[in-house]
Amino acid sequence: MTAVGTVPAGDERLAARSPVRKLLGRPEVGAVVGAVAMFVFFAVIAPVFVQPDSISTVLYGSSTIGIMAVGVSLLMIGGEFDLSAGVGVISSSLTASLFAWYFSTNVWVGVLLALVFSLGVGFVNGWILVRTKLPSFIVTLATFLMLTGLNLAITRLVSGSVSTLDISRLDGFAVAEQMFAADVPVFGITVKITVFIWIALVAIASWVLLRTRVGNWIFAVGGDENAARAVGVPVTKTKIGLFMGVGFCAWIGGMHNLFAFNVVQSGEGVGNEFLYIIAAVIGGCLLTGGYGSAVGGAIGALIFGMANKGIVYAQWNPDWFKFFLGLMLLLATIINLVVKKRAEQK
Amino acid sequence: MKRISAVMGITVAVAASALVLAGCSSQGGRVASSDDGSSGGTSKNSGLTIALVTHAAPGDTFWDIVRKGAEDAAKKDGVKLLYASDPDGSKQAQLVQQYTDQKVDGIAVSLAKPDALKSAVQGAEKAGIPVVSFNSGSDAYSALGILAHFGQDESVAGEAVGNELKAQGLSKPICVIQEQGNVALEARCGGIKKVLPDTETLYVNGTDNSAVQSTVTAKLQADSSADTIVGLGAPYTAVILKAVKAAGSDIKVASFDLNAALAKSIKAGDVIFTVDQQPFMQGYESIDSIVLYKQGGFVLGGGKPTLTGPAIVDESNIGKVLKYAEDGLR
Amino acid sequence: MTPNTANPVTQAVEVPVTEHPDVIAGAPHLIALREVGKHYGNVIALSGITMDVDAGRVTCVLGDNGAGKSTLIKIIAGLHQHDAGTFSITGKDRKLSSPREALDAGIAAVYQDLAVVPLMPIWRNFFLGSELRGPLGALNVKEMKRITKQELLDMGIDLRDVDQPIGTLSGGEKQCVAIARAVYFGAKALILDEPTAALGVKQSGVVLKYILRARDRGLGVIFITHNPHHAYPVGDRFLLLRRGKSIGYFEKTDVTLPELTGMMAGGAELEELAHELEQVGGQADRIEEIRAAEVVPGA
Repeated sequence: MTAVGTVPAGDERLAARSPVRKLLGRPEVGAVVGAVAMFVFFAVIAPVFVQPDSISTVLYGSSTIGIMAVGVSLLMIGGEFDLSAGVGVISSSLTASLFAWYFSTNVWVGVLLALVFSLGVGFVNGWILVRTKLPSFIVTLATFLMLTGLNLAITRLVSGSVSTLDISRLDGFAVAEQMFAADVPVFGITVKITVFIWIALVAIASWVLLRTRVGNWIFAVGGDENAARAVGVPVTKTKIGLFMGVGFCAWIGGMHNLFAFNVVQSGEGVGNEFLYIIAAVIGGCLLTGGYGSAVGGAIGALIFGMANKGIVYAQWNPDWFKFFLGLMLLLATIINLVVKKRAEQK
Repeated sequence: MKRISAVMGITVAVAASALVLAGCSSQGGRVASSDDGSSGGTSKNSGLTIALVTHAAPGDTFWDIVRKGAEDAAKKDGVKLLYASDPDGSKQAQLVQQYTDQKVDGIAVSLAKPDALKSAVQGAEKAGIPVVSFNSGSDAYSALGILAHFGQDESVAGEAVGNELKAQGLSKPICVIQEQGNVALEARCGGIKKVLPDTETLYVNGTDNSAVQSTVTAKLQADSSADTIVGLGAPYTAVILKAVKAAGSDIKVASFDLNAALAKSIKAGDVIFTVDQQPFMQGYESIDSIVLYKQGGFVLGGGKPTLTGPAIVDESNIGKVLKYAEDGLR
Repeated sequence: MTPNTANPVTQAVEVPVTEHPDVIAGAPHLIALREVGKHYGNVIALSGITMDVDAGRVTCVLGDNGAGKSTLIKIIAGLHQHDAGTFSITGKDRKLSSPREALDAGIAAVYQDLAVVPLMPIWRNFFLGSELRGPLGALNVKEMKRITKQELLDMGIDLRDVDQPIGTLSGGEKQCVAIARAVYFGAKALILDEPTAALGVKQSGVVLKYILRARDRGLGVIFITHNPHHAYPVGDRFLLLRRGKSIGYFEKTDVTLPELTGMMAGGAELEELAHELEQVGGQADRIEEIRAAEVVPGA
């Protein structure tokens, strides 16, 4: 054995892994196969599914889940859950709307306040987690309940009812509507701006995860928190940062909701938190953390969107809607697992 | 580290105030809107405590108006109003039980699931607490010994919608249910279907506006044979309207219930009509009738339910209603 | 060199601190512990521990389970603070408040569970916490992979692919990566926490080889183990712990393997073991040898 060796150019033991095989080993591949399978399935059953307008509709439906799935995927890779994400989106909308309406300010004041609020909620979630060392499931379940209650109570306090009031006449509304809820014409079909925001977020998140040291920390903190701490990774800051990332996504989702629909009902958002987690898991993120990708979460959201809308396009009996949805998701996840196992065996 | 946080905190506070002051809007908002016309001051102080127990899911605008009506009557009669709701039948029964234990002076309850509420209601009556019902349960209430019923079943409202559609020559509506399995909503669509057998149901996720919009759009793209689409609540109709407009479809839009935005849409001709059950009246009368019963043994209805609708509101009679809707009464 | 004549088995002993002839006279030890103690509540985990670590030397810490070995490492690696005595690094008294501080002071620990993240690739694990960055804060992936492969090669291990998850490596290879990591990042002192505990004979031999490699590259190695047969071949100094106290501190020249084993095992336990072995018809002669040696150590 040489004491000090030079790296042999072209190690003969390393059979040149074909690019295809390398690709199959990535976490998202199973999800991609599942997505393609689902697309083909609905395309065959309902030809209207492949019309450009329909694709735009499916993308819109996927993008609102997808934007949140980015933050939730990163958090899951970091080993934690956030059950307050669903109502967090609405809390953000309500903060902006109620504040701007009550004080008759420019809507952008409300928008910025909502950003501070959402980041703050993320910070609180992370801080409580780190201090109490309780499972994130419990911590965010508590904040979920508190936010749900706050949504209802404060809306009633300020607007006197269960929904916010019209803010479309406030200054700055038109610009905000353009930024968060515009329709973008692309090759003759209209695509909602949320789709582009979604893609941009996925790109940024992927870059952070794979090409920065923060990404390395995220994988480490999710894979083995104690090991990470032992080698000097700032575990606390990373976790709090991840929760604030979810908060940021919630702000974007909340602003879209507000400026697309103007009036926000205080009871909205409940139940969506599981959809985000489902999207992340279908996309290859391990529930136990340490493995996954932002692209995977996006594909998971796409699968959910396709299943959701596809059932409508196929005009199946609506009573069976939820059953079919669950079945589709299960099949997509199984395909994901099978592909992954195959890739590892080779 | 602590000093830095303090400095940061002050900076943030100062910046925030500056932002707020600089950002005042020249129009719109609370300052611009007129103050809501609540009813007159307290005319008598009955000193009674009455509980209102509904099957509303939190954040529902229809039930919000019921509650408003109840609160108005409570203010007028000097009543302490206790409010609670739960869409789950057995949990609603537990709420009635709790108020019985608290020995309230009267209970008003909505009978979505009469069987689940039977024993709790009879328990209240045995304890000498008068019980009235409203909204759902118009054919079940008298068997439970309930004094009076205000309102009509959702299926009756549904039939009214169906009849109006038929009168306008429409026969194939899509009924959009925002919460699958909700008894009241299913009853509304059921009512329409009784009159128009070609009615189709579309389930959407009511807690997510974007999902509602995209699902409705998908339905319109998939099936162009429907001639109307019906929303089961004013806020949902608003989103449906948006989807219809975005899809460029010429499908007609109808609705249940009312709010300010919906009233405006009717006036503009975007929504052909809505059916108003006067939920305000349901809440108001429920409380007021208990006060009158306590004071003079008065009972309304003559053994039959006191109907509060359904009234069809369309372009022809929207004029008066619009103002009331903006005040949050209708 | 006067040997320890007091019976090391039954008493805590006064240990004279003797200097190794190769250590430059007057130069401070890399790490020096004098009468260090630690308690958790009213449980005394360590007391009166004295030991030295020098560059290019291996100090072995021996003891059975519960002896206090892990508490000792945690103090040196910065996870806990000592409550009594002095802990000095190159002559300066220190009290380390975090693993990060220990790393900055040049002390790297390789734990039993290895402080590696199983699902992450080898190169990511190698640079965890000390990632190389290029422009815009992006990771310099190519360089990190190259360095990882090179460093491992320098330690004598030729890995096929540094992209595979580190969990796919064998126990011995994982240990090597962890050691190579510590060496690369300029560790001056290396603490190895029971590296051979879960390994077979061959793998253990491989790890011992890496320990010598690290020593030859100038590091001061603290080798913690409960197996004197592993410690003896590579160690220059031996500290024996039992129930939080030192029961012996020797230079290699002052003690033999059987003596070491005997002191670790303890006379009473050996009697019992010999008796039990005889009962089941086993061979008790080896035990006899050890017992005989134990009575007069160093004679």
